[in-house]
Amino acid sequence: MIEKYAQFVGEDEIDAIVKLAERLQDLSILHVNSTAAGGGVAEILNRMVPLMRELGLRVDWKVIRGDAEFFTATKTFHNALQGTVRDVPSHLYSVYEKWQEINANELDLDYDVVFIHDPQPAGLIKYRKRGKWIWRCHIDLSTPHPEVWAFLKRYVSMYDLAIFHIPEFARDDLEIPQLLIPPSIDPLSPKNKELPPTTVERIVAKFDVDTERPILLQVSRFDWAKDPLGVVEAYRLAKRHVPDLQLVYLGSPAHDDPEGEAVYKKTVEAAGGDRDIHLLMLPPDSHVEVNAFQRAATVVMQKSIREGFGLTVSEALWKSKPVVGGRAGGIKIQVIHGVTGFLATSPRVAAHYVTFLLREKEIREKMGAAGREHVRRNFLITHHLRRYLMAIAYATGRHRR
Amino acid sequence: MCYVKLGAKSLDTSGRGIPFKFYTAYYLSFYSRRRAKTLRDLLEGIKAADKNTLFHHLFHTIRSKHLIPPKYTNDFAHWVGEEVGDEELAAALSDISGAEPATIEDIRREIVEILEPHADDRAGRSEFVFVAMEPVVVETNYVANTLGEFLDMLEVVPGESIVYHFVTRRVLDGTGRNDFSTWLEKNFGLAEVAESLSRIDPLMYNSEEALRGAILKTLRRWLL
Repeated sequence: MIEKYAQFVGEDEIDAIVKLAERLQDLSILHVNSTAAGGGVAEILNRMVPLMRELGLRVDWKVIRGDAEFFTATKTFHNALQGTVRDVPSHLYSVYEKWQEINANELDLDYDVVFIHDPQPAGLIKYRKRGKWIWRCHIDLSTPHPEVWAFLKRYVSMYDLAIFHIPEFARDDLEIPQLLIPPSIDPLSPKNKELPPTTVERIVAKFDVDTERPILLQVSRFDWAKDPLGVVEAYRLAKRHVPDLQLVYLGSPAHDDPEGEAVYKKTVEAAGGDRDIHLLMLPPDSHVEVNAFQRAATVVMQKSIREGFGLTVSEALWKSKPVVGGRAGGIKIQVIHGVTGFLATSPRVAAHYVTFLLREKEIREKMGAAGREHVRRNFLITHHLRRYLMAIAYATGRHRR
Repeated sequence: MCYVKLGAKSLDTSGRGIPFKFYTAYYLSFYSRRRAKTLRDLLEGIKAADKNTLFHHLFHTIRSKHLIPPKYTNDFAHWVGEEVGDEELAAALSDISGAEPATIEDIRREIVEILEPHADDRAGRSEFVFVAMEPVVVETNYVANTLGEFLDMLEVVPGESIVYHFVTRRVLDGTGRNDFSTWLEKNFGLAEVAESLSRIDPLMYNSEEALRGAILKTLRRWLL
């Protein structure tokens, strides 16, 4: 399967990946995260793990378990670490610790290299017996809730290596090496593979969206950090100039996100009775539907206030759509202002750039092409895979030859 | 300039018999635990940064993976121009030379000289974050024994390989000269060709392919 990616990145890149993997053949590698489906981490692991195995590496992927209280705790921590929650009930810390112990007892963690993804399973490090442990952080830690970060830092400091998406998320108060690796999209996955125009039209029409009229699209969870109300406001401002504009906000719930439903209801309220606003809550496996909407969109928006990386930006750019994005987290390295889209901090500015792009077809197409090339060079899964292999080589002292 | 061309018929020579083995390098990026809020902080950061950090911010734009608009040749110029909003200073910083024999210390001196008179408390909209890098070298399947093979392979080796031999080895590994010039002179005695290659300033190119094009153009002029 790895050879199929040569059409995008060239055979030399594939050769380099194979050669790097050869250095790591004798190692056992484990990935641990908190959900098998829904959200960017599970999506990447679903593609990454088979590719690593194909390279001859011994790789396993395990998902921790927890009850509703545990996932409320981790969601609260998640929001607090990203700076959007101030009050963190103190009993949540012991809930977190209890489930780390339960999972450590249930999971075999006896591997040469262990990747722990995000804060949910980070406490498993306390139960390490051997091996090199790498904490892969997918969220924005630039302005965390001090108490929650102090709690988590006790664990993170025990790792051999931490990996962040972008330098802004890295921490001055961590003594361990901090690597910078952006996440990626898979051009062969159902969410990103080429789709025939008829399929795109059929899927979009199924949800009563008109492909003959301009579509403004945001694909993200119903989460305050994604600013759904700001998206609705930007759409309203742009619609004054483009009356036939439609807004599609496409979200999917994840089982570790208990807050999503409340945000969805508030967004429905904000949308009022506008029949051109389509707020769609699709199951997490609706990859082809997401693909179709991204291809049908005229302009894509990712108006996040806080963002880990925002892979939906790369997904849209890969489909040659310019993106109007919030100046948050990883969006800043995907949306190169004026080259692959525009960065906007307020609904007013976002609406300005959306209107500009809707009006200027030639610029839209030029930015779309630049966006696809930007993703091809930086954010495809093969780059991610190579960087993980390099990280393993570094952690195990095999990066120098 | 008058060139004495070797001509295509002379390119089957293997010189002193030393083959050129092409390697390629990919780069691990590390957070350096240093940030700058103001121009003064930036200056202090540049003075204190290790060579791997300076190398990253100065030379990553040659690689097509760069994440800044093409009008800037390095991250310092980009930050000063886009975040601080001093276009004049950004232009001066963007205009520095990265050609041989400049070492990382020479370039540091040049940047400090440009920045020092302007290094006040003006702040960027967001911080400048210093990033260090560590190359991970991977061997390729390309080995050139003759000048002809070398020319052929220069067209097709990975772009990352061109940057590794032409820039990384010289600047980061401290060899002082790009590998291609060193080989051409050592194995074939082609001092003038080597010197001509050495005059190419890699900071004038914002992709591996553009740099490859400039190297090939120079070699074709001398060798074909």
